[in-house]
Amino acid sequence: MTAVFAVWEGLSRGWGVDHPLLLWLLPLALLPLVATAFRRRGIPSATLVPDDPLSRAMAAGLRAAGTFAILALVLGIAGLHRREQSVQREGNGAHLVLLLDRSSSMDNSFADRAPTGDQESKSAAAKRLLAEFVARRPHDRIAVAAFSTSPMPVLPLTDHHEVVQAAIDAIDRPGLAFTDVGRGLALAFSYFADDTAEASRAVLLVSDGAALIDRRVQDALRDAAARTPVHLYWLFLRSRGARGIYDVPASGDDTAQANPERHLHLFLQSLGVPYRAFEATSPQAVAEAITEIDRQETQPIRYIERIPRRDLAHPAFLIAGLAVVLLLAAKLAERRLRPAAASSATPAANPAKPSPAGPAPATDPRRAA
Amino acid sequence: MKPPAGTPTPPAGTLRPAELRPLPYRLRWRPEGIFPGAHPGRGEGAEGEFRRHVSLLRQPDPRRIDLRVSLRDPHGELHVRQFAPRRTVPVAALVDLSGSMRFGETVPQRVAELCAVLALSAVRSADSFGLFGCDAGVNAAASLPFSRRRGLEQEVHERLAAARPQGAGAAGLFEAAERLPGRRALVFLVSDFLMPAGDIDRLLDALWRHDLIPVIVRDGAVEENLPRWGLIELGDLETGAARLVFMRPALRARWVQAAHERRRALGALFARRGLRPFDLTDTLDTDALAERLMEG
Repeated sequence: MTAVFAVWEGLSRGWGVDHPLLLWLLPLALLPLVATAFRRRGIPSATLVPDDPLSRAMAAGLRAAGTFAILALVLGIAGLHRREQSVQREGNGAHLVLLLDRSSSMDNSFADRAPTGDQESKSAAAKRLLAEFVARRPHDRIAVAAFSTSPMPVLPLTDHHEVVQAAIDAIDRPGLAFTDVGRGLALAFSYFADDTAEASRAVLLVSDGAALIDRRVQDALRDAAARTPVHLYWLFLRSRGARGIYDVPASGDDTAQANPERHLHLFLQSLGVPYRAFEATSPQAVAEAITEIDRQETQPIRYIERIPRRDLAHPAFLIAGLAVVLLLAAKLAERRLRPAAASSATPAANPAKPSPAGPAPATDPRRAA
Repeated sequence: MKPPAGTPTPPAGTLRPAELRPLPYRLRWRPEGIFPGAHPGRGEGAEGEFRRHVSLLRQPDPRRIDLRVSLRDPHGELHVRQFAPRRTVPVAALVDLSGSMRFGETVPQRVAELCAVLALSAVRSADSFGLFGCDAGVNAAASLPFSRRRGLEQEVHERLAAARPQGAGAAGLFEAAERLPGRRALVFLVSDFLMPAGDIDRLLDALWRHDLIPVIVRDGAVEENLPRWGLIELGDLETGAARLVFMRPALRARWVQAAHERRRALGALFARRGLRPFDLTDTLDTDALAERLMEG
């Protein structure tokens, strides 16, 4: 019984009906093989009719039309549909974690003050550019995480780009207090922990500053980087007056407390994963950086595409209708042989002569009728 | 076609006596037998048509001494009258009642009418008439033993009107051929002859003794009056095999051609045995039948 069920499951994996009980009507489709739409006319011998391949083909065709009509009707009434399916496809893209800084400094413009007039805040610029970036990469699986005082998981790796866009839309909400890059990165790495696909993986860190990373968190990050090879991009939105990540300060000032950006850069370089940092001081620079990332992360990727349920009742009814029209046309084209007896059932009435043939009724009842 | 009130509804297949007239028929041979009848018989007989005088020594039959001729003879010889006898001939109708004869109500109408005419003609000529309806065997319900009683044609017509042709093959015809009398008879073989040529040959072999008139039942509906266009589903009345036919002028031409070929082949088959068939077409043509019978 379970075997039968398994076979049925295998057959109906992609297909389904709304009313399975109606499928019991399907054997009716065998009717056209035993019955016919035509009235069968007797003929003394089948050998009288010359052999005709075209007629045989039409007979087979009409039987098939009958079968199809019943099949399609039953399937249509039962509500045949193709189930929602996920198809694995190949494309170019990556598995990407967007790690966004939600510290309050992101709300400022690149001039590091509250945006006025046509100025764009850093978060707004990042939002606009990231939205374009995501829109350009339809096959990516993207996760979104944010960090501030503590890391905030927003979205796990997903194909649903509308959600990703919504998450990106939300990053220009007023930010929170501090910047804890280390735990944010740990969260980003953790997204890849159960991602077994052979896709290129990347973490895109968008921040406008950095902070000290706790030594224990540093160890954890090194561990995570060793376990999950990722590409790491840091898009550093550098405000005017802030220290750059490449600036080497005077000796003695070169401490992690004084130059957290530079030391974060050094730390990320030391992780042993492919890493690039982009230092952007204006929305244009951000755009360039994102274009560069876009160009870099184009590995072949297998991704799952969802195909929504497709209702097949209408095509089924269309097929049934066509088949029935065909049968109707054939039925209307039906003719019959006219046997002589049927056409001359009433012979020409000649005057009733007195019969020499013995005693007979005076009038012919048949003619009287 | 509803009879007016008061008129008794006739039973199915009632004979139309107004159209039934006996037909004379001749034989090209002299029948044997002992019963006096209408056909010039074989040998010398004691009654019938006067033929000649012979001497008493040659035919010692003193009852037939012709005194007047004997007295006139100068030699004093006794003369005996000799007559040409007239004898009866058995007339039999072997009717094929296989399924193929069901087409177009042939048997209850045309064939019944034909056999009634033959029965009437035979009775009027003082000949006996026997009917053999043959499907898988000789169908007793559709048969009548040889008889010359009055009203036989009515019985023949009723039996055939009630007959339901069924089954396949011509086994009954062979059985009927064995049941025919041993002396030469006039036999009408009524069939559509749609059996294999080998069967027809064997059947004609079985009927070699008799004066055979094949009556070919044919219907214009399957030979000429075919529709030009359209679909017909045809079922073989014997085997039941059904097939759909898409009629079109080309196929119709082939069909008519095939029917023509078959008719010619059948004609050739009969001609080889010196038989002249009679065609029972859409209606019984009594004039043609009379002509055919008078030819002998």
